Amino acid sequence: MNTMANLVFEGVGLKKEFDDGQVHALRGVDFRIAKGEFVAVIGPSGCGKSTLLQMLGALDRPSGGTLYYCGNSIPDLPNPSAYRAREIGFIFQAFHLLPTFTAVENVQIPMFETDLPASKRRDRAISLLKSVGMDHRLDHFPAKLSGGERQRVAIARSLANGPSVLLADEPTGNLDSENARLILELVVRLHREQNMTLVLVTHDMAIARLASRTITMKDGRVVSDNASAPDAHREKEQAIK
Amino acid sequence: MTFFTIVVRGLIRRPVRTALTLVGISIGIAAVVALVGIASGYEKSIDKQLDVIGVDIVVSNMSGGFLPKVFDESLQARIAKLPGVAETTSVLMEMESIEDAPMMMVSGREWGGFTWGKLNLMTGRMPRDGAEHAVILGRMAAEVLNKKVGDTVQIEAEELPVVGIVDGRSVVENGAIMLSLKVLQDVTGNEGKANFVDVRVTPNSTREDVRRLCERIKGIFPEGRALVAGEVVSNSQGFRIARAMSWSTSLLAIIVGVLGVMNTMLMTVFERTHEIGILLAVGWTRRRIVYMVLCESALLGLLGGLVGVALGALGVQILEHTTGIRGLLEPNLSPKLLLTSVTIAVVVGVISGMYPAWRGSRLTPSFALNG
Ligand SMILES: Nc1ncnc2c1ncn2[C@@H]1O[C@H](COP(=O)(O)OP(=O)(O)OP(=O)(O)O)[C@@H](O)[C@H]1O
Ligand SMILES: [Mg+2]
Repeated sequence: MNTMANLVFEGVGLKKEFDDGQVHALRGVDFRIAKGEFVAVIGPSGCGKSTLLQMLGALDRPSGGTLYYCGNSIPDLPNPSAYRAREIGFIFQAFHLLPTFTAVENVQIPMFETDLPASKRRDRAISLLKSVGMDHRLDHFPAKLSGGERQRVAIARSLANGPSVLLADEPTGNLDSENARLILELVVRLHREQNMTLVLVTHDMAIARLASRTITMKDGRVVSDNASAPDAHREKEQAIK
Repeated sequence: MTFFTIVVRGLIRRPVRTALTLVGISIGIAAVVALVGIASGYEKSIDKQLDVIGVDIVVSNMSGGFLPKVFDESLQARIAKLPGVAETTSVLMEMESIEDAPMMMVSGREWGGFTWGKLNLMTGRMPRDGAEHAVILGRMAAEVLNKKVGDTVQIEAEELPVVGIVDGRSVVENGAIMLSLKVLQDVTGNEGKANFVDVRVTPNSTREDVRRLCERIKGIFPEGRALVAGEVVSNSQGFRIARAMSWSTSLLAIIVGVLGVMNTMLMTVFERTHEIGILLAVGWTRRRIVYMVLCESALLGLLGGLVGVALGALGVQILEHTTGIRGLLEPNLSPKLLLTSVTIAVVVGVISGMYPAWRGSRLTPSFALNG
């Protein structure tokens, strides 16, 4: 039972339908993710990986089943924006930076939802950009940055309010292999150094092998859940019971 | 970076569209400033005229619209007999098209009446007596008609010589052609008729005395009206119409402004669906999104209001110095009107932003991100 206290996410029979039930993106997904785990989610295109991640990040509501974050039902959170702002850092394949704001401004956007005084925002954004190696491009607009640089800025933004979970949806999908490697190293380093729970969606088996555990999905269902680290293995046992 | 930076960035991202919207609102607000300013300036100058010539009560039959209906001159004698009346004088006022000027006020005043005494002669002389077929011109009327002493002015069928030019200290008087009542009656075929009796009450009368006197005047002239000078302007049907027209035209201009801002803000929200999705995804509350859109549209309104007030004031200045109108306007651009106009613009901005803000805040983050 003591692993229960470490549980970050728990989904039971999680379903998501689109277009009035014509599209079943998730057809009843069960999983548990413990604090500090690095979980890779893989599977063919259209199997529901992004949909699952959006449910975890409270970017959309499930159509059925239950989904908990640290014992609280995510769809019933009284303040979903506070959850998105403080608990979760989201990284997207398409970066999703705001085009009319500079790098250092983009990183400050999530800080409006915290108590951080306005005068401290810029300094914090600069130190975050420094930690992702982007302090030489503070006042550049996203259009003037390379793909790898944009993703670094997006990562710095995801860390703006010190989240405990990083959700990354194919963060290297738009990058060349060299940049992909650098971004991946950065994300894994953040996970290790700050003991952040990391859920990473990828197509790339080589990347998945870095994770302590791999969830494989197909057609809206989990088809395998392989732990490669001993403690994660225990989690899997728990989940099956 | 502050919230204000974000709001400003939202507006300058599309400079041309923002500028066009600003032009739209500011024209609306300029119309408000100009129309209401001119109407209230006119009222104020009438008020001032009454003050300057020392009238306390004006008796007229207001059923005629802008200019009251004529009545028999004998009314004056009956009013003069009432207790508390110091002096009375009959006036026949006409609006006539004189030569090139479309509308000139022609004021026939009973010879020897108290309203003559308040005029300051600048050049020439006063008419010799009440029978002399001659006119004097207010300072601005002379300028508008481009007449000097010695020229003539045609009223109806008769050419009347200009014998003097006076400074009457109010726009209405300065813009008028003045002559003896008898002569104007002759010329216009209104023998024995007048349309105003100006009354001065005895000194030291109280408000109550004045009110009672008005009642008595109504008693002997039931179809007419007796108005205390200050009330003349606000009660005149002509002015009520002018005021209603200036405000309703302004209202139309404001509605056009609202539609313009709303259109711009809707476009802003639609084209920024994806960005609103990002804001929601990084944890912005729906409230903050609403607030951002409303602040943008309010700022648009504020800027439009400031530009509009400046444009309106400028437009009025230009009108004031345009030949043909020159001298007839004394616009009243009070600080209150300017402030009201800017406030209206901001309110217009906020109202126009409401629907777009609501639309923006209702988006599902994942839908907005992908869609
Ligand atoms: N908003 C939506 N409306 C309708 N159908 C949707 C929507 N979002 C996803 N789907 C459908 O749900 C299914 C799962 O989509 P999802 O994006 O989760 O797949 P994925 O595993 O991330 O695929 P990929 O690897 O290509 O990114 C797909 O069939 C997709 O077409
Ligand atoms: Mg996907």
